[in-house]
Parts: sequence; structure tokens; C-alpha cells
Amino acid sequence: MKNHIKNVLSLALICAVVALLLAITNSIAAPIIKEQEEAAVSSGLVEVLPNGEGFEALDLSEFTLPETVEEAYSEKNGGYVIKLRTAGYGSDLILMCGIDKDGTVKGVKYVSGNETLGVEVTYGDNLVNTTSDTIDAVETVAGATKTSAAFKNAVKDALNSAVILGGGSVDIRDEATILNDNLSIALPSAEGKFTEIFITEEVGNISAVYKADNNTGFVFVIGENFVAADVNGDITAEFGEAIKNEISAVAPKIINSTMTEIDLSGFADMPSHIQKAYKTSGGNYVFDLRAAGYGINGDKYTRSNEYIEIKVSVTPAGKIIVCKTTAQKESEGIGDACANLEFYSQFNGKEEANYGEIDAIAGATITTNGYKSAISSVFTAIKILEGGAR
Amino acid sequence: MESFKTLIVILMSSVLVNNYVLNRFLGICPFLGVSKKLNQAVGMGISVIFVMLLATTVTWPIQYYVLDTNDLGYMQNILFILIIAALVQFVEIALKKFIPALHKSLGVYLPLITTNCAVLGVTINNINDKYSFLESMISSLGAGLGFLLAMVLFSGLRSKIEESEIPPSFRGLPVTLIAASFVSLAFFGFAGIVENLIGG
Amino acid sequence: MKNNSNLSALLKGILLENPVFVLVLGTCPTLATTTSIIGAFSMGIAAMVVLICSNAVISALRKVIPDTVRIPCYIVIISGFVTIVKLFIQAYLPSIFSHLGVYLDLITVNCIILGRAEMFAGKNSVGRSVLDGIGMGIGFTLALLSISLIREVIGAGTFAGMAIPFIIDHRIEFFIKPPGGLLVYGIMIAVVTKITNGRAPFKKEFTCEGCPSAGVCHTCKKVLKEEN
Repeated sequence: MKNHIKNVLSLALICAVVALLLAITNSIAAPIIKEQEEAAVSSGLVEVLPNGEGFEALDLSEFTLPETVEEAYSEKNGGYVIKLRTAGYGSDLILMCGIDKDGTVKGVKYVSGNETLGVEVTYGDNLVNTTSDTIDAVETVAGATKTSAAFKNAVKDALNSAVILGGGSVDIRDEATILNDNLSIALPSAEGKFTEIFITEEVGNISAVYKADNNTGFVFVIGENFVAADVNGDITAEFGEAIKNEISAVAPKIINSTMTEIDLSGFADMPSHIQKAYKTSGGNYVFDLRAAGYGINGDKYTRSNEYIEIKVSVTPAGKIIVCKTTAQKESEGIGDACANLEFYSQFNGKEEANYGEIDAIAGATITTNGYKSAISSVFTAIKILEGGAR
Repeated sequence: MESFKTLIVILMSSVLVNNYVLNRFLGICPFLGVSKKLNQAVGMGISVIFVMLLATTVTWPIQYYVLDTNDLGYMQNILFILIIAALVQFVEIALKKFIPALHKSLGVYLPLITTNCAVLGVTINNINDKYSFLESMISSLGAGLGFLLAMVLFSGLRSKIEESEIPPSFRGLPVTLIAASFVSLAFFGFAGIVENLIGG
Repeated sequence: MKNNSNLSALLKGILLENPVFVLVLGTCPTLATTTSIIGAFSMGIAAMVVLICSNAVISALRKVIPDTVRIPCYIVIISGFVTIVKLFIQAYLPSIFSHLGVYLDLITVNCIILGRAEMFAGKNSVGRSVLDGIGMGIGFTLALLSISLIREVIGAGTFAGMAIPFIIDHRIEFFIKPPGGLLVYGIMIAVVTKITNGRAPFKKEFTCEGCPSAGVCHTCKKVLKEEN
């Protein structure tokens, strides 16, 4: 028994002495280790923000920042270094971005990620010395569009964050959110859920119509204005006479329009682009088109063989009312611009004589040509259908 | 399900890609020492898995609830090794008393595990990699399974070596190490597979 | 005569009882940290410092520590020194700290240190134990350096981080990968066996017989008995 106590005591004593020694060592070493770590962090920060000094990590919980922002450091002269995480080609890209007090990008450093292209190491240099006004002009790298676009967008987020951290405000909402916010302000009863109505009748200056998913009304977009109307199309918001008159003139046409599918089997020589055709209650035609994009007409072995799906409404006289891309799988960052409003809305109001007068998608000639060729088939189809009706 | 995928990746990579023995050289002493016969290799492997899981169950909460909350990070090493040593003793006594049959087959390997650097290595690695408790358990299981796998594969190879003619200087340990080198090389093949199948 | 034996306590660790090539202890850091000369050197020095300190303390306390709990006591003392060395490296040499990583912690379970505590420091005077620690430490460091020299020059084409012209364009990466470590280690042992030509008390097999704790570990005896 005595031996046991002696054993335990001596082991405990040794433990205690060792622990004491460790505590003393730690009290000497810990401050130096902390200094060392801070120096390591700030040397990384100086790399992207030369001349920066006195870096301090910021508490981000007080700010609403873009999702890509992971960490941020302020600097004595009013600059910021922002650590970003964004989805790259393989895995997440982690970047450090230094911005000076004037909002100019001073350095972009690729920290880690699993990209395979080599672009990530050098692309950041292209963004140095840009500001939020000039960054859009920097081109993405062909063949590494996704990586370079992710890079650019992350750096844009960093620029916005720097403004927000400096006490300013920037609209960091994306386009879809902005649209939805505008619609919700016009028609709060819809609770933020809207579906766009495909316009099949000639509606003057109205550019888009949204229907509340819970059937509480409509929102008409005319110029910059979002005009709310009830289920019957009667305007509920206060607006000028001109706008009121314009909307009330066409609202019933839009709301009450119905479509009947036309059986195409009876028509010979119908262009192959036409998938489906409808006649609307207002006497217009709606077509579902299929355009051959890069995957069909271009390099079949590098892209999926997917068509671009388009919906077009046309008057019997052959004037396009609305054109819209409904589905596409074109190259990311290049041909996929055919899904942008800026591109397809160019066809609105065009006729057979002038439908070709549109701006092509930069770098995507095959996609643009495929799209145009599908649109041209609409005019042929109208002639056949009108002929058949006669 | 994302977290489930993470767990699978942790498991597969600690069994195959970052194999503790063949890639990180942790636990190489028992790997070379006790892999001569298959039954010994299996016994040692199972004991290691058992102790690794047990050690992780104890060390993980201690690190996060005792050391970190009291700012005693510098006691990690000394505490972990003492815990492992005590656990090994405890398990041996418990097995002897309650499951004598299991003690008979595994008991011999237990004391050797105290100085098996794979056990201390896996507990410290779990903390360094900032794994959650569940991830730590999975990573320990993977490390143990990887150890067992390497031991079993290698014991098969060793019985072949015993029968072959070797230049005198290479007899014994040198040829064993060279054979281990080839087994380690074989494990390299797994790196790409795991990454592409699951990691992608 | 006394001087002579002190000298031999110092020198035997370097070749005849080299802990890496002859006693085959500390295999894990030997293989893991020899991918670069700098890593191998710092691991060697770190282990040497721990070895000398723990040898000195254990030898000084050898009459105080009760026999039955000596292994736990040794482990606590060794682990304490490992943490102290680790804290200082972390504070003053952060790049080496991140290079060695977990292997720095694992010096605790490096068989060389526990083995020397059990085989030498527990039975000899403080002075001789320190000499033994220095000798073994130098032997360990030299062994790591020789392996890392081969691995880094052939595998990375650099010498202590500096590029060597020509070789850097024809490097064989296999050598800095884990299998390369095992291969080089195996060949080195064979070479040392050839040089010493059996003069070294070379062990026949690497089993429990070679384990430094074999003397105290009652189950080791069982394993051995089972084998025979």
C-alpha cells in the first residue's frame, strides 16, 4: 500500500513540475508566437496592398456584404484587403484582393483552389489598377471563361465591399433580386412571387407583364415604371394619365388572351425550326422554335448537343411582338448571352425585312447565326399558316 | 447529404490515399515488426482501430472543452499521451476481467500501442485539421482501417520474401523496407481514384 | 580509462550503434522528414535537444522515480521537453514549425528517446547520459541528413532549397514521395551493414526483440514466445 502511494505521488509530482515548466515556457513563447502569426498575416496583406500598414481584422457581422467575402482587413490609410471565396471551375477559388482608399484594385492574389488551367495565377494581374467603373472592360480569358469570370466577379464584390465597409452603400443585389424587389414594392400582396406573362398581343410601350402567383393582381412594366393592377387589369396605383390610359387600353387584351394550338401536320414545307404553333384569341401567332447553336452547328464533340429554345409571338402581318429565349446550353460566358434580355429583345418589333439588323453576340457567331435562322423561319411559317387559313 | 459525402471522402482518403503507415509513416514500427504472420497482423490492426477510436472519443472533448476553454493548448501533447497510455492500460484490465477470450487474442498487442505514433498522430491530426467530432471519429476509423489493410497486405508479401534468396547485406530489414516501398507505391494508384469517384 | 569509456559513450551512437541504421529506432521521423535537407536537419536537432534534456533529467531522477511507474514518468518528462522545444520552434522558427508539422509532436513517441531513457539514462550517471544523448543525437541527425541528401538531390533537384543545374531538369520525383523514402532507407541500411561488415551488433530481425521497451514490456515476451 505504502508503495502504491509513493508511486502515485511521485508520478503526480513529476506531472505537476512538468506542467509548471510548460506554463512558464508558454508564457514566454505565446506572445512571440502571436506576433509571429500576425506578421505572417500582414505580410500576405502587404503583398496585395503595397504601402499598406497597420492592418486590422474587421468584424463583418455588422455589415451586409456579398456572400463571397470571407474576411476583411482595414488599413491605416483607408484601404482594405478582402479575402474572397468563390466557385471556380473545379473547387472553390480563394483570393485576396487589396483596394486602396480611392477604390482602386491594387493587387489580386490567388491563394488556393483546384483550377487546372493556369489562368488563376496570372489573371489577377489584369484586374490591378481597375476601379468599379473600369473593371467591366477587362476581358475574360478565352478557354477559361468560368475561372476568369469568377475572378472578376469576386473582385467586383471586393470593390463593393470596400465601399460598404467605408460606410457607403452599394447595390449588391443581382438583377433578378432587383426586379423582384421592384415588383414587390408595386404589388406587396403578391408576397414576392411573380410569373412573367408571355405577351402575345401588340401592347405599345409595355415591356413586360408579371402576374402574382397567388392571383392577387398584375404588374405592368412600362419604361422605368412598375404599375400594379388588380385581377381585372384595373390600375390600383397612382400614376399619370398617360400611363394609366396606355395600360388600361391594352390590359384586358393581355389578361384575357388565350392560345389554341395549331395542328401542323396538315401543312407541307413547314420549316424544321418550328416545334409548335398557336393562334391567340387576338388573332396573332405564337411559335415555339428550336435554334441550332454551337452544340449543333459548331464543334459537336466539345459541347452537349442541345438546341436553343425560343418563344416568339408574331402578328399575322409578320411583325414580331415579343421574342424570348426559354432554354439554352450554349458555352458559358460566350454563347449563353443568347439568354440575355439585351440580346433577344432586339428582335421585338422586327419584320422580315429588318430582323437581321441586330448586334451579334461577341465571340459567338455560330450561336447568333443559328438564332437568326430560327427567327427567319417564323416569317415563312406565317405565310404558310395565313395561306392555309385562306 | 453534403456532410455525408464529406465523411465518405474523409474515410476513403484516410484509408487509401493518406494511409497512415504507407504515406505518413505513422505506426511504421509495428508495421515492420508485427506483420510477419497474418494472424498477428490482424490482431494488431484490430487493436489499433479499437484504441484509436477510444482515444479520439476521449481526446476530442478534452481538447475542445478543457484545453481550449482554459487556454491550455500547450498541455495537448502531454495530456494526449497520458490519456492514450492510461486507456491502453484500462482496456487491457477491462478485457482481462470481462472478456477473457478477446483479451487472449488481442491483449498481447495492446501495450505496444502506447508508443505507436499512429495513435497519438491521429488524435493530434484530428485537432489540427479542425474536424468535428463525427469527422474525427470517421478519420480515426479510416486511419485504423488503413493500418489494418496495410498490415494484412504486407504480411502476405513478407511470407514470399522469406522464401526467396537475397544478397546477405539486404537480408532482414533492408529487403523488408524495399518491399514496403513497393506496397506504398501501389497505394499511390488510389489517389486519383478516390478524388475522381467521390471527391469530384 | 574513464575518459576512454566516456568517449565511446559519445561515439558509439554515430556509427556502431547508430540509432537509425543499426538500432533501427525512430523510423517514422526518419522517413517522413527526410524529403528535404532543412527538414531533416531541424528534426535531427530538435530530437537531439529533447534527447539530451530528457536523458539528463531522467538520469538525475533515476533514484527517485519508483521502478513500477518509471515508463509513465519517462513519457511525461519527454513529452514536457517536446512541448517546450515545440513552443520555442513555433516562436522563433515558424517556417520550420510549419514544415515539421505533426512530426514535431510525435518526437514524444520516437522510440530513440524512450529507448535511451530505458536502456541508458535510467542506469547511468548524468554526465554519461548527456554524452550518450549527444552521441545518439548526432548519429540520428547524420543519418537523417544522409537520407535527405539523397532524396532531395535526386528527387527535387535541389540542395537545401537551392536549385542544382541540370539535375533539377532531370529530377526523379519518386524519391521525395513516401515509397522513395522506404527504398532509400532500405538501401542505406544494407550499405551500412556492408561497411560495418557485421561488426555492428546488428539485429537479425526487426521484431519485438528490437523494440527498446522489450525489456519492460511483459507482453513482448509473450509475442516472442508465440513466435518461437
